[in-house]
Amino acid sequence: MPEISYREAVRDALSRAMREDDDVFVMGEDIAEMGGSMGVTQGMLDEFGPERVRNTPISEMAIVGAGIGAAMQGMRPVVEIMYEDFLTLSLEQIVNQAAKHRYMSGGQLKVPVTIRTQGGAGWSPGAQHAQQLEAWLVHIPGLKVVFASTPEDVRGLLWSAIYDDNPVVFFEHRTLYGIKGEVPEEIEPIELGKARIHRQGEDVTVVATGRLVHEALAAAQEAEAQGVSVEVFDPRTLQPLDERALIDSVKKTNRCVVAHEAVVRGGYGAEIAAVVQHGAFDWLDAPVERVGAKFVPLPFAPVMEEFVVPHAADVLEAIYRTVGRTA
Amino acid sequence: MATEVKLPRLGQGMESGTIVKWLKAEGDPVEKGEPLYELDTEKVTQEVEAEASGVLLRIAVQEGEVEVGRTVAVIGEAGEEVAEPSDEAGPTPAAAAPSDDGAEQSAEKPAEAPAREPERERGREASASPGTPPRQVEEPAQSRANGGRVKASPLARRIARERGIDLASLSGTGPEGRVVAEDVERAAVAPVTAAPAFAPAADEVEVVALTSTRKTIARRLTEAWQAPVFQLSVSADMSRVLALREQLVARLREGEAKPTVNDVLTKVCAAALVRHRAVNAHYAGDAIHRFSAAHVGIAVAAPNGLVVPVIRNAERRTLADVAAARAEVVARARDGKLQREDLEGGTFTISNLGMYGVEQFVAVLNPPQVAILAVGSAEERPLVQDDQLVVRPQVQLTATFDHRAVDGADGAEFLATVKAFLEEPGLAL
Repeated sequence: MPEISYREAVRDALSRAMREDDDVFVMGEDIAEMGGSMGVTQGMLDEFGPERVRNTPISEMAIVGAGIGAAMQGMRPVVEIMYEDFLTLSLEQIVNQAAKHRYMSGGQLKVPVTIRTQGGAGWSPGAQHAQQLEAWLVHIPGLKVVFASTPEDVRGLLWSAIYDDNPVVFFEHRTLYGIKGEVPEEIEPIELGKARIHRQGEDVTVVATGRLVHEALAAAQEAEAQGVSVEVFDPRTLQPLDERALIDSVKKTNRCVVAHEAVVRGGYGAEIAAVVQHGAFDWLDAPVERVGAKFVPLPFAPVMEEFVVPHAADVLEAIYRTVGRTA
Repeated sequence: MATEVKLPRLGQGMESGTIVKWLKAEGDPVEKGEPLYELDTEKVTQEVEAEASGVLLRIAVQEGEVEVGRTVAVIGEAGEEVAEPSDEAGPTPAAAAPSDDGAEQSAEKPAEAPAREPERERGREASASPGTPPRQVEEPAQSRANGGRVKASPLARRIARERGIDLASLSGTGPEGRVVAEDVERAAVAPVTAAPAFAPAADEVEVVALTSTRKTIARRLTEAWQAPVFQLSVSADMSRVLALREQLVARLREGEAKPTVNDVLTKVCAAALVRHRAVNAHYAGDAIHRFSAAHVGIAVAAPNGLVVPVIRNAERRTLADVAAARAEVVARARDGKLQREDLEGGTFTISNLGMYGVEQFVAVLNPPQVAILAVGSAEERPLVQDDQLVVRPQVQLTATFDHRAVDGADGAEFLATVKAFLEEPGLAL
């Protein structure tokens, strides 16, 4: 199996879909000659030309709106919002248009648009360029929300997102673009709504998304050395959520930690915690622990940024709290 | 406010540790994180750090083996009064108390986060009993918060419920003295009896580990033994039942289950039960649940021990139907293939040892059911009938009733109906 980076995996899914299917095209700020702010679309202009790799003005609402229009006309556009912080500018289109048309038209219209975006701390981009806003979108019926954490997952999930007849908001994490992983020769689509258990464990289930999947895996390894067996569970698709797999996992381990980079308050972890406490109430041996960023705008200073967002050590502390130990 | 230092659990499965020596003396100032004492566990000897800052007010256990969760010392402010540590006192206020407020939790070190639960408990107690000073409550277990509710995880509650263990009798080792599953598991296996006075040589004793079925039997029968019960006996002339059975066996078609005397008893008891619903009941502690359908359990000697599969709605079934249902469920019981549903929901139980030649016996209640019928063997015995001495096959029936739910007269009427139906099966129609 070839080993590719997360960045190459995203590009591979986009390019293969565009080779196979004339309805697929990409659109966004600086994605053509520059190849995107994260280099994801590098080289795609040469292969597919300016008709299908389209630069846009700095106008997020127009980018998403154009994508929705094209999607309703039968295309499968993949639009890129350069930083997820700027999703806020396009929310009218995403929340009030993309998410609603299929419902309001009684199913006569469909909106198979994919809105790719990225964010996350790690490079000190400051308070307006590093947020994790996935929970905002999960709250909107009519949208699917994906957050991929590995090269294999990001490729298979993006493929499924492109070919889903519903609008999908597709989150990528900035610090993951460079990580490498093995992927199958051919794309294997990953069903939206299917979780992945990265590591089996007996004592605690850590439900993690995005970058925190990797932090959780590091914490799990450390905990294992201390005799605590940790299961690492990545929902991958935040909406729809693989509730069955989640509850089964917690029923097995009896303890649950949720971990994401977004702030704890009102975060996606709250939804996970609610699902777990209801579905596995009689199986819980400890309160569900939440790990996330502190409730402040992200600082620019690197040491401050590092202090605010969670790392493996925070996940490990939470794991130990659920088993009644101190690190 | 003083902080009790409890023996921490340093690994899964650790139940106790041995204090080797204290690194601080009573009266010494202590900083949170400073080494406080040396602890020897099965695996290692290590220094345990103080969980709070202040003055080491009291060392409760100088050295020796201590169970996890027990108070070994108290840290507080200089001059603070320390009550005799009841070793199982109220909830610990600080000690790594995870706050349930995620945002604050990550903003502060968990150990510094104020424990909210005790605050709330205190408030509840204050409002519940005005005039009573809210301190020093005599409670057996640290897990019992001041408000009277035992602090236990949902999983621990479920296991305790399933095994009939009283949570209040347990000492919690989780955060804030919470009873966690491991505490209940440990209680479930803790020996309850003292060591025997003499120890037989090892080769004279066969040690049979309890299977889960055996454990369930032990637990449920011990529970049943606590019920105030009484027994009533009658004997019944089985001539007609035996004749009826013979007729049915003679007409048996290919593949049908052969009806047994016990099947007739099942059917007859079901007919009597729906006429005497006081007996067709469960005793639920705060209420008696009476049932309109008779789900009759039949005690079966399975390879791993006694099981009681249930023939549902026996009052509505034909005798052939009862026989078929019984044959199927007994076969599965013998193969150890019973499903949970097979064993649930019985409203009455029949235990028959007649096939072993037992003439009469007393059965132990099958809670929450309020009655069980013990059936002996049908024996040819002399009987006075119309001033004539005749020999009839007779059976001794002894019913055990839970007096909390059933009075003597109710039981007697039920048994009289069973007897009448056996002697004239047509009446049960």
